[in-house]
Amino acid sequence: MAGNPFPLDKPALLEAYRRMRTIREFEERLHVDFSRGDIPGFVHLYAGEEAAGVGIIGQLGDGDRIASTHRGHGHCIAKGVDPMAMMKEIYGKKGGSCGGKGGSMHIADLSKGMMGANGILGAGAPLACGAALAAKYRKKGEIAVTFVGDGASNQGTFLESLNLAAVWNLPVIFVVENNGYAESTSRDYGVAVDSYVDRAAGFGLPGVTVDGTDFFAVHEAAGEIIQRARTGGGPALLECKMVRFHGHFEGDAQTYRASGELDDIRANHDCLKKFAAAVTGAGVVGADELASIDRAVLDLIELAVVQAKAAPLPTAADLTTDVYVSY
Amino acid sequence: MPTIGLIANPVSARDIRRIIANASNLQIADRVNIVMRVLTAAHSLGVERVLVMPDNGGIRALLQRHLSRGHSQHQKWPVVEYLDMEPTSTVEDTFQAARLMHAAGVAAIVVLGGDGTHRAVVRECRSIPIAGLSTGTNNAFPEMRESTITGMAVALYATGRLSAAQALAPNKLLDVSINEGAQRDIALVDAVISTDRYIGARALWKPEALSAAYLTFADPQAIGLSAIGGLLQPVGRRDPGGLAVQLGHHPQPAALRLLAPIAPGMVRPVAIAHWQAMPADQPFAVLQQGGVVALDGERELAFDAGDRVQITLRENAFPTVDVARCMQIAACEGLLRLPSTP
Repeated sequence: MAGNPFPLDKPALLEAYRRMRTIREFEERLHVDFSRGDIPGFVHLYAGEEAAGVGIIGQLGDGDRIASTHRGHGHCIAKGVDPMAMMKEIYGKKGGSCGGKGGSMHIADLSKGMMGANGILGAGAPLACGAALAAKYRKKGEIAVTFVGDGASNQGTFLESLNLAAVWNLPVIFVVENNGYAESTSRDYGVAVDSYVDRAAGFGLPGVTVDGTDFFAVHEAAGEIIQRARTGGGPALLECKMVRFHGHFEGDAQTYRASGELDDIRANHDCLKKFAAAVTGAGVVGADELASIDRAVLDLIELAVVQAKAAPLPTAADLTTDVYVSY
Repeated sequence: MPTIGLIANPVSARDIRRIIANASNLQIADRVNIVMRVLTAAHSLGVERVLVMPDNGGIRALLQRHLSRGHSQHQKWPVVEYLDMEPTSTVEDTFQAARLMHAAGVAAIVVLGGDGTHRAVVRECRSIPIAGLSTGTNNAFPEMRESTITGMAVALYATGRLSAAQALAPNKLLDVSINEGAQRDIALVDAVISTDRYIGARALWKPEALSAAYLTFADPQAIGLSAIGGLLQPVGRRDPGGLAVQLGHHPQPAALRLLAPIAPGMVRPVAIAHWQAMPADQPFAVLQQGGVVALDGERELAFDAGDRVQITLRENAFPTVDVARCMQIAACEGLLRLPSTP
């Protein structure tokens, strides 16, 4: 075997896998716990989409900001937000990322450059433009990345942001996570010109489409786009074609899916299976090393749930904290 | 009933070369306009039915909007039928469409895409003539041509006004075999060996990673990796044989460096070790131990050290509609002249 053929060294490959596996197990555990009624509010799960989140965000630093979506757990974990605090947040407990007052759709950690999940569809794009404008003034080579689903890409906020980013040549990347469904509506029904790259072109931005279930395809394309943005090349759009293992929200009966569709995507389009096959097939990483990560991640998630359940609820006095910022 | 097939790839021209090289992005709306011009031109010359590959990338949806408006005084088109297949939004769609069109017995297939799309059609169907329209990134194989003219040329053949001997031209291809055929594929223009070992974003744009290029033809005006051969020793599309070029990563030292347009907007120095003619049916063994074979500009087949990779040029491998010749004969023989009174 002639060395490592991949664009990441072995520790970086293992770290990418660990983050993707952490997202997967975090989400699969929430799927179970939500069905038991343990979790307040709604959750939207990122399982199946891990290669996009980690392939892109794994190349960012804490100074780079991301604006996420309602399906934000994966982005948080990829950006380095503590899964223990995230679990407490989702359980609505003290010690959560936002003191247990935000819940699944409002997890934020500015110390990690995670500006927040967002319950308002398409709302992340203007926020990322603001962060990118700040980065442009700071001149440290920092960038902003915003994520949007194929459905929310129809929002005016998103389209206005494409224009603003192009006009101001902002260091911002628009990632369209195209999992084929706007909630339950197939994109065939909801988008007249079903190409997000074409939309970018309409605003003067270059766009690229990649297989979002292939970590290495995402990583390579994102790397070029990120480097371009850091060096003044301006905004770009990256469409990741991907699959969603669960419904739009937990409890979604998914009657809009074709028969056998879920079995097919889990069997044939699982980004973690593809990644594992690639790195073990090339002899760079042993299956035992991945299995060891799998065990450690399961232990971590179990501990996170135990701690979240044991943590106290916020008190009435906590309601008025973290509301205003002192300048 | 004169019937042709039409395969339009909605995802060609979408890769990383938009970012690194300002490669063009032919929008879905324009691709559908091209399809409409093929349909109306073919109908004008008597094609009555067109089988179209369905897709989930926007072409079918937009085409339906056009067709649902009904014929106008300016536009009429044949009966359009979609193949009975479920799109997967992968290259499998093109494979399946080519197979179904072969089974349906279409006279010719109009293909919209780049070199990769045309390769996918030919891989599954080498007997039905194809007429290529360039909508991809590397467009060495399909011609840049107004689709109305392509539609007319295809119709002249499909309706029997032109014979196969008049309308069609033979083409070369490369057979790629790994470990005596355990894995097989083809390339229409170039099979290039890269030191990359993963497929990644598919495109090739780093000359330092290239170790060899095997070319069916090498046009000095081509864009893409075949331009390396085109600027060393041109080989015509219809000439016998091809060209094998060993590049800088070959164990031999570079004999020269050559500036070549290896991707749209990217003219780069490429180190050349040596080059030689590639006769038909003679297998060339790839010397590099471990890497990726890129087929028509895209990384496709990864191989390990110890794997035996062979590239073999084949002549008369598949037919294309020779649009220029079709129109020339149509003019010389007066095929499009009408009676002076309608």
